[in-house]
Formats: sequence, structure tokens, C-alpha cells
Amino acid sequence: MEIIEEIIDDIVVEIVNLDRATLREAEDLKYKTTSKINAGYNKFIIDLSNVEFIDSTFLGVIVGTLKKVVKSGGDLKLIGFQPNVRSMFELTRLFRVFETYTELQEAIRSFHK
Amino acid sequence: MAETKAANKILLVEDEFNIAKLFSYNLTKAGYQCEVATNGREGYEKAISFQPDLIISDVMMPEVDGYEFRKMLLQNDELKKIPFVFLTAKGEEDDILQGYDLEIEDYILKTSSPKVVLAKVSAILKTLEKERSKVVDEVSKAADSMGVKVVPEDFPIFDGFEIKHWHQPHKNVPGGDFIDYIKIDDDNIVIVLGDTMGKRWGAWYFAVAYAGYVRSATRFVLEATKDYKPSTILQKVNESVFKDERISDVFITLSIVIINKSQKIAHYSGAGDLPLFLKSKSEVNSFISNGLLLGFSQSGEYQDHELNLQTGDEIFLVTDGITEARNSNGEMFREEGFIEFLKNVSQNQDTLEELKLKMQEFTSGNYDDDVSVIKIKVI
Repeated sequence: MEIIEEIIDDIVVEIVNLDRATLREAEDLKYKTTSKINAGYNKFIIDLSNVEFIDSTFLGVIVGTLKKVVKSGGDLKLIGFQPNVRSMFELTRLFRVFETYTELQEAIRSFHK
Repeated sequence: MAETKAANKILLVEDEFNIAKLFSYNLTKAGYQCEVATNGREGYEKAISFQPDLIISDVMMPEVDGYEFRKMLLQNDELKKIPFVFLTAKGEEDDILQGYDLEIEDYILKTSSPKVVLAKVSAILKTLEKERSKVVDEVSKAADSMGVKVVPEDFPIFDGFEIKHWHQPHKNVPGGDFIDYIKIDDDNIVIVLGDTMGKRWGAWYFAVAYAGYVRSATRFVLEATKDYKPSTILQKVNESVFKDERISDVFITLSIVIINKSQKIAHYSGAGDLPLFLKSKSEVNSFISNGLLLGFSQSGEYQDHELNLQTGDEIFLVTDGITEARNSNGEMFREEGFIEFLKNVSQNQDTLEELKLKMQEFTSGNYDDDVSVIKIKVI
């Protein structure tokens, strides 16, 4: 699958295995995260290590998920940025609102602090 | 603008090797681009990566059968729109009815001759294309008659300045970009460029709503103060959008410029937008706004840039349809490409016209997104 979902403790990890994360894949991510939020999860990690390009629709789904989980006291953290993806987050000033990590374990530990 | 007609893509989901081979051979020979998956799970993955125009699927398959596969697609707002046809050896009425309950276009028996299958595929795709054109046409007409426009037809008249835009909707379907010009008085004009995250109709719907928000916020701010600042307008729009639950999932980038004619000053502020580009003689500078995407947090932290303008200066506001446009090798135009382009346009050339030519040459007319550019020139 392009987006692999794993549950570690009470954290939902979405691993995005795509070169280009765009409109159609965004729907898939939205479906996955919405199902988990409806099931009561509010801690998410999205792994973008393999992603070379992210369009604004896909970014919109990540931002929307963050906004939803923050409301219920949760958080969404990101791992792994290639240069284009990094610049997309810088450009939209979203670096200021997402906690970002380089390793999955590091992101998981941050939820337990 | 005419688009190059690409071959229709068909995803064939069939576990029986010989049947898959036969159908795939015939479809490819007829000019379709065909990919094969051997069960519903693989079909779902390929539907995402291959983005077919039509899916033909067997019913009885290992792991995930055709009915389950169809149900998975129906859960995905994008994938459920792809026309779906069942291919089966069974002709029993009950099976056919179960298929139609799952919003399928048609049902093809495996025993049909290749000619019949191709005729059906062609007829389905043609009908859908006709329906699509009809819907686009009708909604465009309805939008026109209601006066709902996300991009003005005419350029504003503002003495001493030439204000023009170029807007190219993605695949000629109205999308998420919007442009607005609001003349405050003889001396001041507000220029707005927005980009709603998402594409096509969904984004267009929100673009209409957002354009309305910006207009009413602008009016509200102007009634309250004579100190015309884009950041105040942005903050007002952001507050309204943030509180509005109906659009809590929608995010938008916005650039606002207010020009004061007598002082030749531009104030600029933005929310998650691309930088403003200022071309002064052969020098090009970019101004980056600090604000967050609209609707994300209550305090968007919007700030203003003040630009003192000289005769001949040109300001450009652009959406990511320009910077993320790709050439045939998949390389993006980027901000650097845009700056380089601006540097190379001479003073006596029309920059917007030159940009259209440049982008046509770079993309061969194949855009991935709405393209919007506003040019403000001091004359």
C-alpha cells in the first residue's frame, strides 16, 4: 500500500510510501486518519521520509488532521523531510505549528514525555 | 487552450491469467493504456497510483473479491468517482442486481467477444465525457447567472497603474484560485489573490465562499478605520474562518496588496502564500510574508511589508500553479525559475504575455493545478 498504517501503543503512525503525495492519495490519508479519529485516537505521526513532493491538497489533509486532534488534546507530529517537502512546510510557515523529528522512535518518545 | 488528448487509462482487475491477458491485449491494441491487478486489494492500490479513467473488475477473486473492492473504492471520495464495470462469467440476475447496488456503470460478461467489450468500454467513456462537459457547462452557466465569479472578467482601472492578471483553471474546470479587486476610493485599491487547498469543484465552491469572506472583512475593516493595512484584513478574515465550523477542514493561502496611488506605496501581507515579487529595472526582490494559513489558528500573526514604488516597477503575486508547474522531465519551474524569468524580460516587453509563452513552452500546456498571476505595474 502507498500509505501504511501502524498502531504503536496508542499512537497512529501513517507511513507515506509515495514519491508524489497529491490529490488522490490525500483522500486515502483523510479516510485513514478520520476513521482513527472517530475510533478515539488523537495521537498521530506521519512519516514523510519517502516523499519527494507534496501538493497543497495533501498538505491540507495533514493540517486538517492536526487541527482536529489538537481539539481533543492530542497532537500530530511529522518525521522525515526531503528538500522539496521541507520547503513546502517552510513556505506555508507550517514549520511553526508542527513538531518534527528525524526518527520514528524519537517522535514516539515525545508523546510519552 | 486545447489540451493534448492522452490515451484513456483502464485498470483491469482479474485473477485468471489468460482472461486478463486477452482483455489487456485487446484494450491496449484499441489504444487504451491498460494495467492489470490480480485481486481487489492490489486493484485498490493501483487505482490510487495509476489513476485510471475506468475500472473493469472481476467479481470472484481471492483475498478481496470484486464486491469488497467496489465497497473499498466507494469509501474514498476520489476513487469512487472513477466509473466501474464488473466483468464476470456469471450472468444470473441476482449477481447483476448486487452489482448495480454498488453504483456501477455496467456489467460485462466474460463470454462477450472482444468487439462487444471494446464497444461497451468506448460507449461508457464517451457518455461520461459528454456528461462531464454538460455538467461543467451547466454549472458554469449557473455560476455566471448568479454572478458568482472567482476571477473578475475585467481588469481594474486605476490611474498611474496597470493591473492585469492571467488565470488558467486546471483542465478548464473552475478551481480553488480566486482574484479580487476592491476599490476603496480614488486613491486606494485592494488586490487579492487566494488559493484554496484542493482542486476542481470542491475547491471552487470554497473559493467562492472565501472570496465573499475577504470582501466582507475588507468592508468591515474599512468601515472601522482609515488606516488601510492588509494585515488587519487578513486577521479579520482569519478570525471569521477560524470560528466557522462549516469550513474547518478548508485551508487557504491569501496575498493582499493595498496600493496607494498618490504616495506610490504598496502594503503587502500574506497568509501561507508564495512571496511577492518586485521587479525594479533588472533587479528582482522577493518579500516573504509571515502569516499562517487562514483558518488554522486564531492568531495568524500577520505583518505588513511597505514597498515604495518607482515608475516602471512591477509587482507580481502568483499561486503555486506557476512555481510547481512541471516540464516533461518532471522538473518544477520553482520560485528560482520565476525570478530568473523576470530578470530576463526587458522593460518594453509585456511581462504577463511573455510569462504565458514561457509557461506554455515549459509545460507544453499540461498544467497540474490552477495557474494565477497578478501583475501591478507603475506607469
